[in-house]
Amino acid sequence: MSSFVIEASGLSKSFGQTHALAGVDLQVRTGEAIAIMGASGSGKTTLLHCLAGITRPDAGTVDFQSGAGRVEVTSLSERERSRLRREAYGFVFQQGLLIPELTAVENVALALMLNGMPRARAEEYGRGWLAALGLAGMEDRRIGQLSGGQAQRVAIARAQVTGASVVFADEPTGALDSATSAEVMQALLDSTTGQGRTLVVVTHDADVAGRCSRIVDMRDGRIVGERVPGVAA
Amino acid sequence: MIARVAWLLARPGTSGAAASLLPVTAFAIVTALLLVVLGGAQSFWTWSDDIGVTYQALAVIALVLLVVPLASLGGAAARLSARRRDDRLATLRLLGATPATVSALAVLESVVLAAAGAIAGVVLYFLLVPLVALIPFRGEPLGVDGVLLGLPALAAVFAGVVLLAAASAVLGLRQVVISPLGVRTKQDAPKLHWLRIVIGVAVIAIAFLMMSVLQVAGSMLVIFAMLGLAFGGTIAVLNLIGPWVIRLVAQSQARRAKTPARLLAARSVLESPKAAWRQVSGVAMTSFMAVFAGTGIALLGSFGEAGDVESMQLFDDIRTGILITVIGSFLMVASSVGVNQAAGILDRGELYRSLDMLGMPTPTMDSARRRAVMSPLRITAIGSAVTAAIVMLPLTGAAIIVAPLSLAVIAGVLAAGIGVVWLGLLATKPMLERAAAG
Ligand SMILES: Nc1ncnc2c1ncn2[C@@H]1O[C@H](COP(=O)(O)OP(=O)(O)OP(=O)(O)O)[C@@H](O)[C@H]1O
Ligand SMILES: [Mg+2]
Repeated sequence: MSSFVIEASGLSKSFGQTHALAGVDLQVRTGEAIAIMGASGSGKTTLLHCLAGITRPDAGTVDFQSGAGRVEVTSLSERERSRLRREAYGFVFQQGLLIPELTAVENVALALMLNGMPRARAEEYGRGWLAALGLAGMEDRRIGQLSGGQAQRVAIARAQVTGASVVFADEPTGALDSATSAEVMQALLDSTTGQGRTLVVVTHDADVAGRCSRIVDMRDGRIVGERVPGVAA
Repeated sequence: MIARVAWLLARPGTSGAAASLLPVTAFAIVTALLLVVLGGAQSFWTWSDDIGVTYQALAVIALVLLVVPLASLGGAAARLSARRRDDRLATLRLLGATPATVSALAVLESVVLAAAGAIAGVVLYFLLVPLVALIPFRGEPLGVDGVLLGLPALAAVFAGVVLLAAASAVLGLRQVVISPLGVRTKQDAPKLHWLRIVIGVAVIAIAFLMMSVLQVAGSMLVIFAMLGLAFGGTIAVLNLIGPWVIRLVAQSQARRAKTPARLLAARSVLESPKAAWRQVSGVAMTSFMAVFAGTGIALLGSFGEAGDVESMQLFDDIRTGILITVIGSFLMVASSVGVNQAAGILDRGELYRSLDMLGMPTPTMDSARRRAVMSPLRITAIGSAVTAAIVMLPLTGAAIIVAPLSLAVIAGVLAAGIGVVWLGLLATKPMLERAAAG
């Protein structure tokens, strides 16, 4: 059994004349935190979406290895990919994108309820995760009543609560100040690699990338370099 | 500058053609219905005999009943067209447009959409004229000449629709300027006071009493005034209590919800019970009319055998009038649900997209959205029908309300009302799917 949780090869994706991805190979090891960096428009988000089964690439394959075996993500139907995202993956976006009319705990519990867990138990798990992320006492607040950093932690709890084996984060600290950003990144790492899970994070922030175990650099839809933080490229 | 940027805005956006087609269609329906009703009513004013006055009074009642759904549809259409350019507002600002330019553009766009819709509405009206001309009143078809409106009336309706759109756009814009992130920045769910219920019950009791003493009233005029007050008051009460009851029910639904769709639906109703009410209040009006119509028709039927030819004619015509009013308000309710839903989907496009990424199935999102409309709708329709029945009770007696004919008419109208709202939801499903797919 390979120690890669995700193996992508030959990924390419075009939008009209734009080659967002032009042949990307990437292997993500189980339990690592990998940062994807690069200029705006270099294809980071597109790569993340292909890895996570949100976007189907024009060419190339993405293999996902889980306890249940190995699946080739790009050949799955829309419905199967949706289910894979719901059950095996977690997501954190730049703006949190939580559901504004739900409370914090309901936002987290919803991820479990979508997988069929009864609500009471789902909320119990949700409370547990919120407490672990330093949000005890804020469970019943609506999202509008939380600060940006707090909302982002709710998003992290939502990404974690299902026991996702891989968490994908697209500029999770993009909207935060640097102190809050460091805290949120720490929370994200603690709840992923700290528990043996895998984190794939797109970021512009060198400090955020510096906390990961590996950094890949992108330019014009290709991976142009790979480095270990703290070691010169 | 404005003209150039307006052209930029006019190109199909990320939200697809539906976003501009819907308000145009809605404005077209508003205009056409308004013209049809005015045209029909106009022909009543050619009669100058005694019974002609009764017809005119009834026509005014029908017009008043249609004004509420009409205004809410007009407002919804204007809100949608105002919201349509939200996604490009930021881009425009970046391009260096001042807030004043952006506001002017938003109003301009609403006005253009409304004008396009109003023109389509006038065309639709001309297409409908031959059909409307066939509707018999006082034993004869109205006739094309009777229904055809003059140029001043057409121009006035056109101007009215466009003005309504401009006014709503300005109002809608103020909200956007205050809170650019819309729902996302909302802090608290609004609260509604229990005092509403006390006032409501009091007004209904007064309406009940007025209807009980109606028979002893001296003149026809007093009877009309009391009828008007009782019905007007009850409708006002429905508006007062409706949102409150919807909130109560949604609260308990949110507590008990077991599936994601149910939880989402209940919470989104709680987010704004008033908006939920506004979306279905046209149906409240129609349910109210349904009871009125159902019992009225049964009552007229029971008078029927004894009546002279002229009264028989009047009863027939009242039935026709009720039917037209009910159909008209249903059309408007269905359109305003469609338009409101479209606006809601555009508002939450990014959220729907993210939920899709998280793996929430689109049918779950759709079912949440449907429930958030259908549940308040059921409460509203049934609640209004029951309230109307209570107020009618002294006038008609229980026997008439529960007569098979009344119940059949009431049930038929309610079912049709719920059906058209369902259609409005169905029509916007493709938009939701597109929003989720990104
Ligand atoms: N849905 C789309 N339709 C058309 N073009 C797209 C789409 N998504 C991405 N692109 C294009 O593909 C290229 C890569 O986009 P991508 O979003 O992956 O960049 P990114 O590295 O995430 O940039 P940023 O740092 O700004 O988020 C860009 O040129 C972008 O314009
Ligand atoms: Mg990106």
